[in-house]
Amino acid sequence: MREQISFKSVIQTVFRDYLVLVAIALLVIITAIVEPKFLTTGNMTNIMRQFGPLIMVALGMTFVIIGGFIDLSVSGMLSLVAVVTISLIEPLGQVGALIVGLCLGAFCGYLNSVLILVSGAMKQAEALFITFGMSTVYGALALILSGGRTKQMSWIKADTSIFKAIGTGTVGFLSVSFIMFLVCLLLLYIFQNKTYMGRAIYLTGGNKTAAELAGIPIKRSIAFIYTISGLMTALGAIVLFSRVTTASPVIGKGYETNAILSVVVGGTTLVGGNGSVLRTVLGTTLVILLSNCMNLLGVSVYMQYMMRGAILILAIWLDNRKQL
Amino acid sequence: MNNFSIGKKLINIATKQKAFLAIVVMLVIMLFSKTNFYTAYNLFDLMKSVSVLMILAFGVTLVLVAGGCDLSIGGIMVLSGIVAIKLMNADVPMLISILAALLMGAVVGAINGYLVVYQRTEPFIITLGMGMLLTGIAQQLTDAHPVPCKHPTFVTLANGKLFDTIPNLVIVMLVVFFIIHYILRYTSFGRNCYAIGGDYEVAKYSGINVLPIKAATFVVCGITAALGGVMLSSMLNSGSSTYGDTTALVVNCGVVVGGTSFAGGIGSAPQSAIGLLVFGVLQNSMNMLGIDAYVQQILQGIVIVAIICLDCYGRKRKREAV
Repeated sequence: MREQISFKSVIQTVFRDYLVLVAIALLVIITAIVEPKFLTTGNMTNIMRQFGPLIMVALGMTFVIIGGFIDLSVSGMLSLVAVVTISLIEPLGQVGALIVGLCLGAFCGYLNSVLILVSGAMKQAEALFITFGMSTVYGALALILSGGRTKQMSWIKADTSIFKAIGTGTVGFLSVSFIMFLVCLLLLYIFQNKTYMGRAIYLTGGNKTAAELAGIPIKRSIAFIYTISGLMTALGAIVLFSRVTTASPVIGKGYETNAILSVVVGGTTLVGGNGSVLRTVLGTTLVILLSNCMNLLGVSVYMQYMMRGAILILAIWLDNRKQL
Repeated sequence: MNNFSIGKKLINIATKQKAFLAIVVMLVIMLFSKTNFYTAYNLFDLMKSVSVLMILAFGVTLVLVAGGCDLSIGGIMVLSGIVAIKLMNADVPMLISILAALLMGAVVGAINGYLVVYQRTEPFIITLGMGMLLTGIAQQLTDAHPVPCKHPTFVTLANGKLFDTIPNLVIVMLVVFFIIHYILRYTSFGRNCYAIGGDYEVAKYSGINVLPIKAATFVVCGITAALGGVMLSSMLNSGSSTYGDTTALVVNCGVVVGGTSFAGGIGSAPQSAIGLLVFGVLQNSMNMLGIDAYVQQILQGIVIVAIICLDCYGRKRKREAV
């Protein structure tokens, strides 16, 4: 009986996606009425730029959460990649620094998965603590490498700079970082829905034992999800420091909770096994808009922190009500 | 005869308790280093700094034994200290302020318990969100500045000494220790916690009232976290929203280091005390040896990862042996 598509379940599914959209629409309307500056082109470009780093990290996190795990190490990883890449621009050149940065991110992610696989930590809670410990390690490495100082980007000397383009360049109406996001979204969407590995990740998240018995290479898919998360975090780090042109060794603080929040608010369930990168885009839009609106309305930063906690609890609670 | 059995017991503890062995190794290393580690002042300082975390850890032990997980303790800790100090600065009597802070902890614990147990949500994400929420409230209340306490005697609550030797904070820690140990070992509530953590379904079908008992562990954890927060702000005579950033994860790791398992059903208060002592001794010895703060952070991270991995690996081997 459960498999039958009833009218009620259709309504519920629509309502689930609808809820995020309704929230976004309400937010936009209310803020636009109270604060007309919200709808100016300057603010829209601003939102688009803020969107860049978080969406990258959140897209990577989507795969981890669909696979039934969690990755708290993104905050440390983001700081590490930002510090390393920015200090390598001088000796290695821009392309070299970019490649090393991305490889470092992917390697850090892979290292997480190796630790998880070797110790056999198949539960979300165990992965949470391991990645938290790794986050401390990566964060401390960033602090040591930078000597605790904020690194400045040295792109002013070059005429054409990749990082300058990522940070401030625009193609027509869209900013370069936004185009990068669209390309990543497309690639990840194809990976998620059209490849064997993408489907294997869903099955791994759904039921590990069943997936293993069915011949799904769950170890490889776990290695994949963490490597993707690391790679996307590295991209996020590059987009972030290109925009602010400096890399502080604690630049990534708070990104792990924001990324989890974006994924969960978007409607990807924490249990694993379902969700999609498109949902994450919706969730991230809500989180970024919320922070932008609250800034415009003059809500204090601490209050925003509080609201994020409340929204996280609310989102998970609603999410759970659906499953009961 | 008596001597022999004590020796045997010690060997038994050493092989079973890797955490205990780690402490012994660190203490021996410190014996050969030319530092002021073995001075009464430093040892009491060590005890004092560990005591706050231990008070939190005993509550967490109860939650972990019953198969839950609480990451909101950092938030509860900072908020309760700030609530107590704010009330005292508003001329509310000290006892009532402290009770209000503890009540706050209990209420937060009850909300956690309701969401986790009755609504069946994932405990660690819900409590992570709750920790964020509480830290946000604490920052909003204090504007992210430390609040000094104007009450004259609040500072003596933790820093005063019994018989001029033992700090009150350590006494409070011991009292909490004995209460939690008694609950876990000698009451039906404690035994039911082990049963629920060991196998939820079996406990349910054995007629244990699983829902209220599991929810109650969160309330107890909230109260101990609030008590830890009050003692911390009494020790420092101020409340700040920045103390609890990593407390929750460090305490949880410490408890697991002691031998309490994430899977639930295993663990005890003395084990948790030893686990937290590992972190305390490690931190203190690294400070004494003058190790760079960032290197300390790396070492602490590696210790956390290594210990959690070993814990998981042990269970993996057990799974494969069956």
